[in-house]
Amino acid sequence: MRREYAANGKPVLRFASGLQIRVGNLWAGIGFMSAAILLAALSAGLGVTDAGILDLLNGFTGTDADDARAYALWTVRLPRIVMGFMAGCAVALAGAMLQSIARNPLADPGLFGLSQGSMTMIMLLFVLAPAAPKAMIALAAMAGGLGVAMLLIWLVGSERSSGLAILLMGIAIESVLSSVGSLLILYMPTETSLALSEWMAGSLFKANWSTIATFAPLMVLSIVGIFLTGRALSAYDLGNEMAMALGEPVGRSRPVILVFAVLLSTAAVTAVGPLTFLGVLAPHLAGFVSPAVSRARLFLSALMGGILVIAADALTRGLVGDVPLPIGLSLTIIGVPLFILALRLQALRKMQTH
Amino acid sequence: MRLSILLAALVAANAALAGERAVTDDAGRAVTIPDRPERIVVMHEPLLGLPLMDLGVELVGSYGRTDDGEFVTAVDFMDTVLDTDLAKPKGIGPFGQIDLERLRALEPDLIIGTDLNIDKVEQLSTVAPVYLQNVSTGKAYGFSVEEDLAKVVGREDTFIKRKAAYLDRVAEVRKALPSDPAGQDYLAVFLTDQLNAVGETSGAIQALEDLGYSRLEPEHEGGAAGRGGSMMLVPLSVEAFGRLNPDLLVLMNSYMNDAREEAGTRAALDRIMPGWEKFLKPAKEDRILFLDSAKVTTPTVASAEHTLDAVEAWAKR
Repeated sequence: MRREYAANGKPVLRFASGLQIRVGNLWAGIGFMSAAILLAALSAGLGVTDAGILDLLNGFTGTDADDARAYALWTVRLPRIVMGFMAGCAVALAGAMLQSIARNPLADPGLFGLSQGSMTMIMLLFVLAPAAPKAMIALAAMAGGLGVAMLLIWLVGSERSSGLAILLMGIAIESVLSSVGSLLILYMPTETSLALSEWMAGSLFKANWSTIATFAPLMVLSIVGIFLTGRALSAYDLGNEMAMALGEPVGRSRPVILVFAVLLSTAAVTAVGPLTFLGVLAPHLAGFVSPAVSRARLFLSALMGGILVIAADALTRGLVGDVPLPIGLSLTIIGVPLFILALRLQALRKMQTH
Repeated sequence: MRLSILLAALVAANAALAGERAVTDDAGRAVTIPDRPERIVVMHEPLLGLPLMDLGVELVGSYGRTDDGEFVTAVDFMDTVLDTDLAKPKGIGPFGQIDLERLRALEPDLIIGTDLNIDKVEQLSTVAPVYLQNVSTGKAYGFSVEEDLAKVVGREDTFIKRKAAYLDRVAEVRKALPSDPAGQDYLAVFLTDQLNAVGETSGAIQALEDLGYSRLEPEHEGGAAGRGGSMMLVPLSVEAFGRLNPDLLVLMNSYMNDAREEAGTRAALDRIMPGWEKFLKPAKEDRILFLDSAKVTTPTVASAEHTLDAVEAWAKR
């Protein structure tokens, strides 16, 4: 491992295998991870029961906390934090991947209709078989998302079509599916549509260790995916023709990346509900803190996504009084000001350099 | 032989000592609940909490109340329906955001939810056994929820007494009516910003039908809402309503509205259907009964009795 300078003058770490990491990205990654751990520790102390991270540490050293504290930490708070982090990572990752293949910073599982595909399927299941088991819901969501992805691939067609085509087609499908969703909500019996809208606002209420156990293999898979597709994505960032010129088999790798993004986003939708805008928000914020390409970009985006959801959950649970605040809303409350700030600062930075 | 009897007796005694029994709830789940639950939390106060409180059961928690026991929506049915000095239950978190820690702090020994809470069962069960009770139209009728819950909490005797007194009152009111309601039909309409036919799960419907009135089924226009079968209210189009001519028209203004007395209800209907008093047959022939929705819509014997009171007052006019 050697410390060298890249062509643009930035310090990088080069490994013997040829892998190189920008030092700036490495620091950002470490920073994000510490932020996530810090936020998680803070969030573990929020709630009605007087318990916190110290009780958790005591638990590891053998001193048992009383029942109420153990319940609050192990059954309520930790699953929410872990689940939130994983769902945030998944959505942010899906967003970052889609942005590369669409070559558009606005791309997001929501904008492509992938989330809507899963949501419509889940809604239909809600209506037709309200008592369906969890696995069935997950499968339906997956089928919905994949269905939309297949439709997209089929509609967009050959490898010659541009990123813009896939984005526009995605928006078209998304609009159709959203209207189906609104229609369902409007014509459902009141109680069912209330349950639906509750779920659509997003909630970590159902987070528990068994859901996490189902979700965890997907997380591992996504890390593997980052390694496999990360390089290809940096070629996509340069445009389809350039990617092909660089030897990227666009016709084959684009569907693979799309399917991968579907898996990630549907898993998150099933577990937590739609986390609107997170797919755009997290990669942008990560890119603002530390500009990165290919694998580093995916890693940093995923971490940022996780951090944002942990923070949103902390806000939801930390609010005093009886103010209901769904996770989707608290995510917006936290994320959007940061987003605007980042964009403004970026604009200012550009003005100064030009 | 003797030994087996002895063993069986021992096992039975053991079960009795433990004070628990296995039941199957309306969702078909097997649940072990205390024989006589003392600390009950309900997931829907008007539909589940009120029937229990009508039987004199004190609740520790109810979804939809604040920590101080205040009800978050417009009407506190405990005040309008029941004449009781039971303590107000405490909340378990804001609407749409159940707080499991708060729920556990109430130390419930039974959580009762509606058939629509099935998706929450897994998490709620980490606190206490969860019993799901059908409340939807088509699955529950009149105050059947109260009867079912009486069995769940071991208060059948209270319910039987309550029902006997109620039936006496039905007979008394029927005598006071100018004509026998048998063979006459009624239409109960709940006014929101539109017209709604009142679903079957309410004390008002129970009382009207026990008096002898039969339900006039408004024709559904094939809308999805008609088929869902799980709502308290079925939207009714103004045109369809204008054509109907029930022997008794029952009108109630929404409980989200403060003006629930006759004048307020008349004004509310006037906004939806201007000039109705001039052309609607039951209005011209004075066949309208006005009810206070905050008193009569819960699936309780108390609500049915409020309805009887209103019918009696109307008959004596």
